[in-house]
Amino acid sequence: MSISDLKHSLRKLEFPACAKEALLKIEQLLVGRVAPTNKQMDAAMEIVSEFVFCEADRRGGRRGGGLNPLQELQLIDIICDYLSACNNETTKNTIFLSLFGGMENQRKLKILCILASMAVSASSTPVLLAVGVWLQQMGCSSPQSLQLVENVIRDHFYLNTTNHAALQSLAGTAPQFVSNFITSVTELYMIDGQNPVKLPPKNLLEVITLWVYTTPTLCTSAQLNAAALPNGAIPMAAVTPFAGLVRWCSLAPLYIDRDAEMVEVQVKKIKLEGERTLKSTTKAHTEWELYMQLQLGVLQSMRAWRRRGPPAALNAQRIAAFTHPIREYTQRLKDRGCDITQDDNLQVSLDRIGQAVQVALASGCVYGNINHLLAALDSLPENRLLKIVVKAHQQAI
Amino acid sequence: MNSQTKSAALSADLNNFIYGVSRRNFQNAPELTKIGILLLKNFPAARDAVLEYFAMVFHDAVNVSLNHGDYESDSSANGSLESVTIIGPELCSLGDTWAPFIAPWCINLIMDIATDKANLPNATLQSTEPVRVLLDITTQNLTMLNSEERAKCIDMMLGCRACSWAVGWVGRAEPALVAPRALALGADAARAVLAHLANHPPALFHVRAAIVDLFQEAIKEDGQPEKKREVIPYLLNLASKSDIVLKALTQDIENTLTDEVLDRLGAVCAAHKHSVAWEGVGPASVVTLLLRSDVHCLFLLLKHTQRNVFSRQLLEHLLQKLEYECLFPDRNIPLLMSAAEEIATVRERLLTGNQREQYTLARILILVCNTLPSEFVSTISYLLQYSRNDTTLALLVRIISGTITMHTPNDSTDISTDTERYQNLIKTGVEYALREAMMSDTQIKKCFIENATFNDEKTYLHHFCLNIIKLLRWEGSNRVSYLRTRSISRAVEGNLQRVGAALHEYASLLRVRNTYTMNSLPELPTCHALAELLDRVDITGTKSPPPSVEAILKVVQATVKYFFRCLHIKDAMEKISGVQSACRLLRKLCAQSKLARALALRDLLETAMFREERAFGSRPHAAAPSPHHHLLMHLNQQHGPITQLTQSHTSVFHAGIIGKGVRKAGGPDDADIPPILTTNNELLMGALMSCMDGNSGIVEGATSVSLLLVELVSPDVMYNGLPWPDEDFTKQVSIERELYMRGAVERCAVSRAALRRVARARPALCLASALLRAAAATLLHRLRAHLDRHAQSAEAARELSALSELLSVMALGQLLPHPLSHMLELAPELTASELVQVLRDCLWNYTRDHVPSPALFTCDASGLHWRDPSTCKPPSTYTDTLRLIIQKRISKLGHLYPIMFLNLDKES
Repeated sequence: MSISDLKHSLRKLEFPACAKEALLKIEQLLVGRVAPTNKQMDAAMEIVSEFVFCEADRRGGRRGGGLNPLQELQLIDIICDYLSACNNETTKNTIFLSLFGGMENQRKLKILCILASMAVSASSTPVLLAVGVWLQQMGCSSPQSLQLVENVIRDHFYLNTTNHAALQSLAGTAPQFVSNFITSVTELYMIDGQNPVKLPPKNLLEVITLWVYTTPTLCTSAQLNAAALPNGAIPMAAVTPFAGLVRWCSLAPLYIDRDAEMVEVQVKKIKLEGERTLKSTTKAHTEWELYMQLQLGVLQSMRAWRRRGPPAALNAQRIAAFTHPIREYTQRLKDRGCDITQDDNLQVSLDRIGQAVQVALASGCVYGNINHLLAALDSLPENRLLKIVVKAHQQAI
Repeated sequence: MNSQTKSAALSADLNNFIYGVSRRNFQNAPELTKIGILLLKNFPAARDAVLEYFAMVFHDAVNVSLNHGDYESDSSANGSLESVTIIGPELCSLGDTWAPFIAPWCINLIMDIATDKANLPNATLQSTEPVRVLLDITTQNLTMLNSEERAKCIDMMLGCRACSWAVGWVGRAEPALVAPRALALGADAARAVLAHLANHPPALFHVRAAIVDLFQEAIKEDGQPEKKREVIPYLLNLASKSDIVLKALTQDIENTLTDEVLDRLGAVCAAHKHSVAWEGVGPASVVTLLLRSDVHCLFLLLKHTQRNVFSRQLLEHLLQKLEYECLFPDRNIPLLMSAAEEIATVRERLLTGNQREQYTLARILILVCNTLPSEFVSTISYLLQYSRNDTTLALLVRIISGTITMHTPNDSTDISTDTERYQNLIKTGVEYALREAMMSDTQIKKCFIENATFNDEKTYLHHFCLNIIKLLRWEGSNRVSYLRTRSISRAVEGNLQRVGAALHEYASLLRVRNTYTMNSLPELPTCHALAELLDRVDITGTKSPPPSVEAILKVVQATVKYFFRCLHIKDAMEKISGVQSACRLLRKLCAQSKLARALALRDLLETAMFREERAFGSRPHAAAPSPHHHLLMHLNQQHGPITQLTQSHTSVFHAGIIGKGVRKAGGPDDADIPPILTTNNELLMGALMSCMDGNSGIVEGATSVSLLLVELVSPDVMYNGLPWPDEDFTKQVSIERELYMRGAVERCAVSRAALRRVARARPALCLASALLRAAAATLLHRLRAHLDRHAQSAEAARELSALSELLSVMALGQLLPHPLSHMLELAPELTASELVQVLRDCLWNYTRDHVPSPALFTCDASGLHWRDPSTCKPPSTYTDTLRLIIQKRISKLGHLYPIMFLNLDKES
């Protein structure tokens, strides 16, 4: 069937039906034993823009309105159905990347965001895995990825706060997605240069802690399970969330008040009835505790990292990079005339860096310039653990 | 729930929703709505689609309720309407994380609906259920936003022309945010928004603040005049379209437009006068605005007319416009309404202001009074009370005449009914003024407490009277054409009873006089004024219908009271003029009605005899025994150490009159018969006489006076008839009574004087025959008892003078015809025994046989009653005693003989 025939047959159909049909046609065009030709690729792209997203008219010009929200929802439903029905991982990723690959289009990105959020809601593993691959291919810290992740966070941690159980189970069903998701999330909060520093919302922190703590292999799962990509595609390296999480845990003591949460619990006690207050106090962790637990989870995950080939889990430079906010904090303490060695928060922070570096180096998952890292650590304020770690490893090298 | 089954259920929901929505029919809207809400909660990513669907539902619901607005039963059956009621509370309760999504959605939806239905009246649209739900959701969610987002949302709405009502509604949540933004819009849009906003009272404050800020900004001196050139025309334009803005601008205008601000404003105006935007706001439009503003603006304008020519022109322009507008009776002019509300201030300024203010305010008051009759009444009342000079009284005349004549063209047929109506209003006004003036007199005044009273301080009532009197004088002068209709007189005549009551109260000695009130001032000046007022009014009924009997009686009572107050005045001139005006009043009143005369006479006599007797020199009727003197009975039992036997030679008796203790040697106090000829007595007689005016009036009046005298003096009605019984009868039966009556008459100068007056008006004296008889009987008995024993004593002298008085009265009253009447001249020369004879034979027996009755008097052609001496010659049996006595003492009494008997003999 020629391409023009193909289009012609599609034009006979109305919107939802034509999109459904178009997906099948694209699959036919792109998936085969050999890589598709450029002409086939172009045809597939045209079909996508005319029949799936309805952005172009038959002569390839831009169409005005695009889809309204209801039609978007219909389209998302169709895509979702298609992806779930697809049993070949490669085919699925191929189609998904061809639909949402070129991310210059904000409208498509919006649909993708909805799709991702919906997949999270519905715990739709095939779609989530595809989104995970997309995240990895786009790069976890790319603006598009961040936008998608922000959308998901807003939908599931701000707007809908009743779906913890479903979210928790994601770590088991779609670990690659979760791993890439966490990596992206760490790029959103406690970034150097934010003013004021954005902290992750508590429920997000809770879920991430739970994920990392309960599933030690989670952080490395994207790296371990290589994505099934279409023929001829270039796989992008998976980035583990270790660096980001270590930063969170280390910097958190500087930003979080140890007692802040306690006050909030007391307020809750007044508000709620006796029984429920009891329950919530026994169950709820303060953010401080959560970061402690997260630190433990991260350390465990690092230890669980099994070496296969060169170390690729933790970039030394990225750890060296976040010594900067600690120095700033120290400077502020000095300006106020406080004793650095007596400041609990700073010491806890330095302790955590020391722990993380020690475990990472010991389990051999650090890559990059380790000397440079040790030098950076050496320049930090005095801390006993850190001193021991640095000294030990400098000697070893 | 297991996550797998949950997600399956979610997918099913989603599919149902998508399928249902794509059918585009609202039959199953409630179910889809429920699914939609479920999706929103569990599936936030689908929010755009769900909200889109909800928007469709709202659109449909608005259509439905607009078409079926009339009956309720149908609306509950409709799917989309039901859905709306489900959606409302759900979207309100989603919480603040949702607000950033919901609020813009709501606002867009409102804007869509408003644009869609732009041709419908706002009220209809606003009252539909879905729109109300929607507005509710919007308001709820707006309050949950932070200020930046909220401002963005409101800007969004303000951009839409059709939904200003929605802004107004929603903006109530945040008026401080909306009001300044709305002012940045065009005049029409701003008007609509502010009008809706101002339906919410707390928002008014912010609206006003925003407007005043804008104004202050516009006149600030900061070197950017170009930018602000159009602000003031814009504000004026806006005010011309919106009551709210006008009200906000004019509220507390004294604070906004201070002198500095006005100077600055003048500079700004001068600078921009010729720019385009200023052309639309000339004096005409300012006047139109002023018509709708409140009276404080007018005051401000008045204040500036002092030095500003433009203000004067503007004022004149405004007044002309007002007068023109008032020709349309159904127009409500806010300026006048406001003037009516603050009428107290307006009136005060009318009294105290300068000439221009007074004339202006009088014109305003005419307009107010014309529309509001109640204000007409109160204005009259106020000015009558507080006007203190001719100018303000003239203003009152102007207001009255202006109000009455404003709408009556000369050829109108219903003039009479209209003037009648206004006459009633004036009457009510006078009534109010009188009542309030009297009330003000009872209130505590600061000036008394601070001791800062003036010398010629007058009571409020006095001022009121002076004002009315002045008006009446103007009326009487006939030089003021407005007053030709005698409206003031008629009003006072209508209130005659109240004026009478006022005089009654003020003339009363028992009046409550609290310190520190006007009532503590001497009340006589007020009484004089009231009397003069009454005097000036026409109460005779010549020019107007006669006043009611009730009113006349009240005035009579009051006048009598006033008369007696005047008698006590020390200053002779004042006393005489007061008494004279009282007499004038009495004359007028009594000529009018017999009832009034009867009452006046009775009141005068009664008061003079029993309450004010000291003023006439009379002795009190029953003098209380003085503490030091003892009863004769006790004195007579006290003497001696031994038991006293009656008539024993040792006993000593104290002589005296029983009940009066021991006789005192020539004690002058109770011996004297009070004189008749005193000033007060004469004045009282004058008053009595003025009660009986005219010929027949005098006889009638005198008749009733004599009847009254009998009634007042005699202890009971027995033996009060005209006939004189046998002399013996009195001795045995009624001597005590006669003694009492004689004492009563003798003690009381008034009654004697009155008897004298009565005697002149024949035949009235006949009716007092009981009194004469009492005197005659007692004289007879006493003289007989005395015989010659105490010929020179004071008692004998008193008896003699009583006798001569009796004789003179009876002679005056023609009860003793010709020869008998000369007993008077004879009496002083006779001895007691002779007198007894004369009295018994000539006086008593004659009168016994010729009963003194009016029948003896014939009425002649001129209406005079008299006894013709030629026809009533007494038979010789009654004159023989006299004749014998004269003959016996011819040497001394001879000169009387020819006078008494010569003609008699000739005839016989």
